[in-house]
Amino acid sequence: MTNSVQGQNRHYSPKKKSTFSKLLSQWQLMLMSVPIFLYVLLFNYFPMWGWVNAFKDYGNRKLVAKGITPWIGLNNFKWLFSRPDFFQAIRNTLAMSVINLVFGTVSAVLLAVLLNEVRQKTFKKTVQTVTYLPHFLSMVIVVAMAQNIFASNGPVNDLLVALHIVKEPVFWLGEGKHFWWLVGIINVWKEVGWGTIIYISAMTSIDPALYEAASIDGAGRFQRILHVTLPGIKSTFVILLIMNIGHLMEAGFEIQYLLGNGLTAAYSRTIDIFVLEYGTQMMDFGVATAAGIFKSVVAIILLVGANFIAKRLGEETLV
Amino acid sequence: MRKLLSVLLMLCLLGSLLVPFAVAEDQEPITLTYFYGAPGDQPYPDNKIYKKIEEEFGITFEMEFLAGDLDEKLGMMCQDPDDLPDLFDGGNSADKILISSGVLINLLDYVNPEDTPNIWAHIEPQKNRIITKDEDTGEDVMYIIPNYGLGEGDQIVNSVNGPAFFIQKQVLAWAGYPQIKTLDEYFDLIEAFIAENPTNEDGTPYIGFDILTEDWRRFCMINPVQHLMGRPNDGEVLVDINSEDYATTTFINQPYAKPYYKKLNEEFQKGIISPDTFVMTYDQYIAQLSTGIVLGMFDQTWDFGDATNALLTDKKYANTYVALGLIYDEDDVPAEDMPEGWTIEEHYVNGSLPNLDRGAGISVSCKCPERIIAMWERMLDPDWALLLNWGVEGEDYSIEDGRLIMTTEQNANTQDIEWQRHNKAQAIWNSSPKRQGYIMEDIQVGDQVVTAGNCWEPGSQPEIVFGLMNDYDKEFLSAYGYSKFGDFVNPPIELAPYGEAWQIDKSPIEKDYNDFLNIQDTQLPQVIMAPEGEFDAKWDAFVEAINPSCEVYSNFMHEEILKLVAAYYGE
Amino acid sequence: MTTANYKDIKVRKHYDVVFPIVNTIILVLLMFVTLYPVVNTVAYSLNDGTDALKAGITLWPRVWSTKSYQSILSDPAVYQAAWISASKTVIITLLNLFWTSMLSYALTRREYVLRKVITTMLVLTMYINAGLIPNYLLITKVLHLQKSYWVYIIPTMFSCFNMIVIRTYIAGLPEALVESARIDGAGDIRIFWQIIFPLCKPVLATVALFVAVGSWNSWFDTHLYNGSKTQLHSLQYLLKMKLATTQQSANAAQASVDALANTAASKTTPVTIRCAITVISTLPILVVYPFLQRYFVTGMVLGSVKG
Repeated sequence: MTNSVQGQNRHYSPKKKSTFSKLLSQWQLMLMSVPIFLYVLLFNYFPMWGWVNAFKDYGNRKLVAKGITPWIGLNNFKWLFSRPDFFQAIRNTLAMSVINLVFGTVSAVLLAVLLNEVRQKTFKKTVQTVTYLPHFLSMVIVVAMAQNIFASNGPVNDLLVALHIVKEPVFWLGEGKHFWWLVGIINVWKEVGWGTIIYISAMTSIDPALYEAASIDGAGRFQRILHVTLPGIKSTFVILLIMNIGHLMEAGFEIQYLLGNGLTAAYSRTIDIFVLEYGTQMMDFGVATAAGIFKSVVAIILLVGANFIAKRLGEETLV
Repeated sequence: MRKLLSVLLMLCLLGSLLVPFAVAEDQEPITLTYFYGAPGDQPYPDNKIYKKIEEEFGITFEMEFLAGDLDEKLGMMCQDPDDLPDLFDGGNSADKILISSGVLINLLDYVNPEDTPNIWAHIEPQKNRIITKDEDTGEDVMYIIPNYGLGEGDQIVNSVNGPAFFIQKQVLAWAGYPQIKTLDEYFDLIEAFIAENPTNEDGTPYIGFDILTEDWRRFCMINPVQHLMGRPNDGEVLVDINSEDYATTTFINQPYAKPYYKKLNEEFQKGIISPDTFVMTYDQYIAQLSTGIVLGMFDQTWDFGDATNALLTDKKYANTYVALGLIYDEDDVPAEDMPEGWTIEEHYVNGSLPNLDRGAGISVSCKCPERIIAMWERMLDPDWALLLNWGVEGEDYSIEDGRLIMTTEQNANTQDIEWQRHNKAQAIWNSSPKRQGYIMEDIQVGDQVVTAGNCWEPGSQPEIVFGLMNDYDKEFLSAYGYSKFGDFVNPPIELAPYGEAWQIDKSPIEKDYNDFLNIQDTQLPQVIMAPEGEFDAKWDAFVEAINPSCEVYSNFMHEEILKLVAAYYGE
Repeated sequence: MTTANYKDIKVRKHYDVVFPIVNTIILVLLMFVTLYPVVNTVAYSLNDGTDALKAGITLWPRVWSTKSYQSILSDPAVYQAAWISASKTVIITLLNLFWTSMLSYALTRREYVLRKVITTMLVLTMYINAGLIPNYLLITKVLHLQKSYWVYIIPTMFSCFNMIVIRTYIAGLPEALVESARIDGAGDIRIFWQIIFPLCKPVLATVALFVAVGSWNSWFDTHLYNGSKTQLHSLQYLLKMKLATTQQSANAAQASVDALANTAASKTTPVTIRCAITVISTLPILVVYPFLQRYFVTGMVLGSVKG
C-alpha cells in the first residue's frame, strides 16, 4: 500500500524549498523522532568505542590487570579464522537459524491463518492462550522434557517401534545428524503460539469488507485465505523476514548448550558458544569483540541484501 | 531463659578475658558491603548469629549473593575499582580474577603473630602454602585465608567425601560382603549381580554403571585413571611424587589410561554401560540414582547428595552407595606402559588440604580492614567458634558429660535453608577462617565443660555420624568388621608438597586447556562406544588428537608444581 | 477471477463444510501438544521435592506437596520484589508505547527529510552490539545509574523491533486518513494523536505485551547493577537466586556429608522449585493477557473510517 504513495509529491507549498527550510517546516516530526534518535546515539552508538578492544591483546590476564593491553592489529581476527571449529560453529549457527526461521515462520503463519478461520470467539481465544503458554517455560524445563520424550526408551521411540517404522530405537540425542532438526522442533513447540501473536494483530487491520467482497465473488475459504488474508499480512511477513535474515548469525546458545553433549558437539556448537568458551569466559574481550564485529558485519551484509531484493521485488522494505 | 542469659554472660566474659586487645576500640556501628560469590538467600533481620555479630563487633552486612555467572560478574565488578564491596568472597574464581586484578589487599599488613595470634596459629601449620611471594616485588603476600581445610588434630575420615568408585550396598551384601579392590573385581561383581538380578522388585532393569559427562562433571569420565594408578585427586595430571623433579603429565593420553577405557568398552559391549549415559544430564543422572537402579559409578560423594537423600527418604538403605578405592590389577597394565619405577598402591584419600583458592578477601576500597581482621581473630576464639559451628547451647545443641550432641531434629535443621536464614551466619561462616577438626583443649561453656576430643563441626562429631546411623548401615559395617565407611579405603596419604594439582589456576593456558577438554568431551564417548574391533583405532585417533594440548598442559602444570614445591620448602 | 463452473462451486462448498471440522481437530491436537509441558510443570511444582528427583511425573503430582510454593512465598522479600517488578513493568511499557508509536508515525511520513537516516541508524542497532563491558561502563561510570531504580527504566525505554512492528502497521493504514486531516489543517502531532494512535490499538496491545513480558522477565540488570540493594531486587532475580540456592545446597554439603547421610529430609529440590518459580512468574502474565488479547483477537472495522 505504501508503495502506491511513494512517488506522490506532498509538499505543503508548491514552491521548491531547500532541504533545510523543509526540515524546519517539519519541526513537529522532528519533535517526535529526534529525542529518541539522541537516546539511541547515547545508549547504542556511544559504547561502540568498545570495538577498539578487538584490536588489542587481552590474552594475558596479569598484564590486563595492570592495564596493559597492547595493540595487536588483526591478530584476534586471524586467530578466529585459524580455528577450524570456528568455521564449524558458523556452519552450525547458519544451519540452525535457517531451520528455525523456516519452521518458525511457516508454523506461525499457518497457525495464525487457522485461528483466523475460527468463528467461535471463545474457542479462538482459548487456543491462542494455550498455544502461547510454552513461551513462558524456561528452556531448561522444555529441553528436559524433550530429552525424556526423545530418549531411547521415550514415547517417540516407543511409537516408532510400535508402528514398525524403525526396528531399533533411534538414538535421537546422541547422533549429530538429528541435532539441528531437534532444535527446530523444540523451538516450534515452544514458540509457535507466541510467534502467531504478531500475525494475528496484523490480520486485524484487514478490512472485513474485503472478505465480504470475496464471498460475493464466490470465493471459498481457501481462496479467501489466499487472496485476502495472506496479502493482508504480507508486509508484516516481509518485514519480519528481512529482519530475521539479518539475525541469521544468531542461533543463540541456551538450547544448544542444554540439549547438546559430547557426542553431538560437532553439530551443536554455535558461534555464541564458541565465543563464550574462548572469549567471554576467559575474559579475553579482544577475541569476544572481534567475533562480535564479524557477526555484525555479516548481519549487515545479509540485511542490506535482503532489503535490496525486497525492494527489487517491489515489496515492503525495512529501510 | 536464665540459663541462656548466664551462658551469654559467660561467653562475653570469657571473650573479653581471652583477647583483651583484639576488639578494636573504635566500635561505632558500620555497615560493610559483602559480595558472596555463590548463590544464597539473604538472612532474615532476626537472625540470631548476625545479631550477636552486630552486638559484639558493631558490624552489619549489606550482602550481595550471586545469581548469574561468577566470572562475568567478578569481571564486571573489577572494571569499576572505586565501587567495590568491602568484603569479597570470590567463590571458586577468587584466585583467577580478584587476585590477578589486584582488587584485594595484602592481609599480611594486618596479620602477624603479635596482633592476631589466633589467625596466625590457624594458618601457621600450612603457611608455606598460604603465604606466597609476589611475582614482581618478591614480598610475602596473602590475599585470602582458606575457608576450609585447616583442621586441628588428626585428620577425620569418617567416610570418603571425595572421588571413588561407588557401588550399591546391596550388591556387596548379595555377594557376601567381599573385598573389592581392583577394576576387574568391581565389574565382575556388577556383571554377576545383573545376571542374577536383571531388574529390581518393580521390574525396572538395573543399570550396571553410569558415566556422567555433563559439562564440568566430565571428571566422572576423565579422572579415574590417576586413582587406578594409585594417586589421590590431582585433577587431570599424574605426578610422580617419588621422582626427583616431580615428573608431571596428563594421564588421559598415556598408554596406562588405555586399559581403563578398554574395560569400559568391554562393559559397553556387554550392556553394562548404556549409550544413554553419554546424553544424560545431571538431573537425569540424579533421577536414575534416586530411584535406586544404578549399581555403580565413578563420582565424588558430594556430587550426588540429593540422590542419597532421596534414597534415605524412601528407606532404600540397600540402594545407597559405598565408596571403594579401586586400583589396576598388576597385569592390567603391561610393564612397558608404566612410568619408570612406578608401583601401584591405593590412595584415594589425601592428606588434609587447605582450600587455598577460596575464602574471603578485603577489597582495596574497604575503609576499615582492621575491624574485619579483628572480627576474624575473635571468631577463632573457642566461644565464637562453637557459636558459629554449633549454634547456641540449649537451642541448637546440648552438652552431655562434656560431649557435644544434637537431636535428630536439631541435626536436620542444619540442612534446612530456611532455618539457616534465622539461625546461622551462613555466608560469613562459610568464607571466614574457621576451626575444624578436633577440639584440642577443654572449653568452659557456662557452668559446663566441653572436653577435648569433641569435634569443631557437628558433621564430624561421632555422636552424630554414628549415633544417628540407620540399622542397615550398622549391620552392613559390622558384616565387614568396620567401624566407619572410611575403612573401605586406605588411610590418608601425606599431602604432597604442591598440594593437589587441580587447584592450580590454568588461566595462562586456558585456550589450550579448553581444547584439551573439548577433545575429551567429543571423542572419549566414541572410544568407549567403539564397535568391536574398532577400539584400538579410535583410541589411537583420540590420543593423536589430544596430544598437542596435552603437551602444553603437562609442561605448564609441571612448571607450576615445581614452583609450589620450591615455595613449600621455602626456597 | 474467472467464473467458476458448477463443479468447482460444489467442490468448494464441500471444503467449506469439511474445513472447520478439520481445522478444529488440528487446533485441539495442537492445544494438547502445547498444554502438556505446562501441565507437566504445574504437576512437578505441586510434587514433593525429594520424590520429584526420581522424575517420571507426567500430568498429576505423585506425592502432593505445596512446600515449594511455601518456601518461596513465605519470604517477605518476594512481595517487595514483586512490587518492584510490577511497577517497573508498567512504567517501561507506558514509556515504550508513548515514544515508540510517536517515532513510528514520524518514520512513516515519506516527506520527512530525516526519515531515511534515522531509520537506518535505528535498524542497525538491532545488529550491532558494543559488548557487555562498554555498556556496563556507560551505565556505571558515565550515567551512574547503578544501585538505583532508574537503571531499570532509562536503558530500556526504546526497542527498534517494536518500532518496526508499529511502523509496519501504521504504513498499512489508509493514507487517505492522513491526507484528509492534513487538508483540514491538522499538524503531524495532532494527526498522530487524534487519528493514528487510536487506530493502532491492536498493534499497541501486541507491543505492550512484548515489552511487558520482556521487562517482567528480566533479571540480568538487577544482577549487574542492583544486586547489593535488596530493596531494589526484581522478582525474577530473586526467584533465580532461590533456584540457584537450592541447586547449590544440593551438593554443597561439603563439611557435613557424613551427617547428611543420616538425615533423610523431605526438602525442596531444584526440580520442583524451578517449576514453582515458572508458575509463580507466569501467573501474572496470564491474568493480564486477556485484557490485551481482546484488542488483537477481535478485528476492527476500518471500513467506516476509510471514507
